[in-house]
Amino acid sequence: MPLLHIRDGKIVHLRGATTTALMLRFFTAPFESAWRHRDLIAAILRRELQERFKGSIAGWIWAVFAPLLSLATYTIAFSGALQVQARTGEGTKGGYALFIFAGLVAFNFFTEMAYRAPSLLHEYSHFIKQTMFPAEMLAIISTLRAAAYSAIALVCLLIAQCITSGTLSWTVLALPLWFAAFLLFLIGLTWLLSALGAFTRDASYLMMTIAPLLMFMAPVFFPIDSLPEYGRLLMYANPLTGFIDILRDLVVFGVLPRWKVCLWTIFCSMVVFWLGYWFFDKQRDAIADVL
Amino acid sequence: MSSEPIVISAKSLSKTYRLYESPQQWVKQIFFGSFRNYYKSFWALKDINMEIRHGDNVAILGRNGCGKSTLLQIICGIIRPTKGELWVNGRVAPVLALGATFDLESTGRENVLIGGAVMGLKRDDILRKMESSAEFAGIGDFMDQPIKHYSAGMRTRLAFAICVHVEADIFVVDEALSVGDEAFQRKCLDWLDDFRATGTLLFVSHSMDEVRRLCSKAIWIDNGKVREKGLPDDVIKAYLAAADGEPDDLRRFSAV
Repeated sequence: MPLLHIRDGKIVHLRGATTTALMLRFFTAPFESAWRHRDLIAAILRRELQERFKGSIAGWIWAVFAPLLSLATYTIAFSGALQVQARTGEGTKGGYALFIFAGLVAFNFFTEMAYRAPSLLHEYSHFIKQTMFPAEMLAIISTLRAAAYSAIALVCLLIAQCITSGTLSWTVLALPLWFAAFLLFLIGLTWLLSALGAFTRDASYLMMTIAPLLMFMAPVFFPIDSLPEYGRLLMYANPLTGFIDILRDLVVFGVLPRWKVCLWTIFCSMVVFWLGYWFFDKQRDAIADVL
Repeated sequence: MSSEPIVISAKSLSKTYRLYESPQQWVKQIFFGSFRNYYKSFWALKDINMEIRHGDNVAILGRNGCGKSTLLQIICGIIRPTKGELWVNGRVAPVLALGATFDLESTGRENVLIGGAVMGLKRDDILRKMESSAEFAGIGDFMDQPIKHYSAGMRTRLAFAICVHVEADIFVVDEALSVGDEAFQRKCLDWLDDFRATGTLLFVSHSMDEVRRLCSKAIWIDNGKVREKGLPDDVIKAYLAAADGEPDDLRRFSAV
């Protein structure tokens, strides 16, 4: 039987739980909650996916057409441009177009969330204010929706890579791991941004201002190895750099990513995920009051 | 006293809202909040004590803005109280602002799926109850039309039909029935009549007839405090007497 017990504004969880148990609880809480609300996540996600292309005749064709068109444009625009070399010294098989496209697949996934997150809770304010809606699920739902479009773009990238080089490297098998880490990172980021955005619209304007600039703070258009040592370190401070770098290594260059980059990226995504959850959970009551 | 188990228990429950004059004040509060307060407190609820047992049918009376809805929202777990202690045992179905979760572009059926999921139902359960929900709502082929083509009364019908099928232990009705037509109101009241035999009902209404018909207890909330509680007839008498004496004064909404 569901039981609600609140004392002085705090949910009373378990009586006499040890500190270790409470800490463990904190780490498992987001997953437990997502599992408990899986039917709700599915129902809202289904609606969100349908909503995206509602009223258009072509519908989901747009989701496939957009990445294909950008890929075609890069191929034409950069057909004679510089050749990018993998750090192992071999030339890329797909050329500069695929190199940029891979960078943009990761970057666009990030910007979609960065733009939407600050207004996310406002979009669903009637749910949060008037029903027992678990607001923390919204970050997961919206990230999953964006993931669906990114997955389409990713498949386009794989097909293009397959066509230009005739084969795919075995390293693409590690892509699900890359995707999972990226999901954790973006869900955490969405928790942070959406909680901030509930209080002030400034969060929205802030993201609109800095997200396009981040494109040049991450190696979307150039290989990170073309930078001097200090520039590289600065770039890696942006977690997006790691995700872009690893995606290119796995798909475009077909090599294993550097383990230091992997560790740093996984570390970043885990910190952002639990930091985001902690912040959102702390602000949850205030959010219901201010929306 | 009754030996039924207690389903809702509140001990000196209070809720305060922070009112800021400007967003700048809010930012100052974050950084300098430990030195002084930059907000005005508005106490929506002050020191509420109550105990509701399984099978109780409780009417909550009070004027607009007295804190009724805040109390119901706290019981439903939508907002958290600032002070005091609260236990709620059982699944709550709130018919607060009916149809708040409705998506205008989706059909009635799709909205039943979302509304049921929000209340914690499994997809299979909702699908099994779909036909009986549609029948209760009684809106015919409109079930397959987008909600934007519905009238206010049809939305209320659908929302009530969803709540009816949640199989809740505690049913919360907040001034919901006034939108439906005569026949639908009668259907809802009949259903509530059956429900109150087995479940717990929290009922907010400005119609004293409905209160007399459905409720076995009443609580009168005035200015965030419990002013009187007891048998419905006694509380209604006191409430109506007071309402006659107090003019509709704007000053009672002043925050501090």
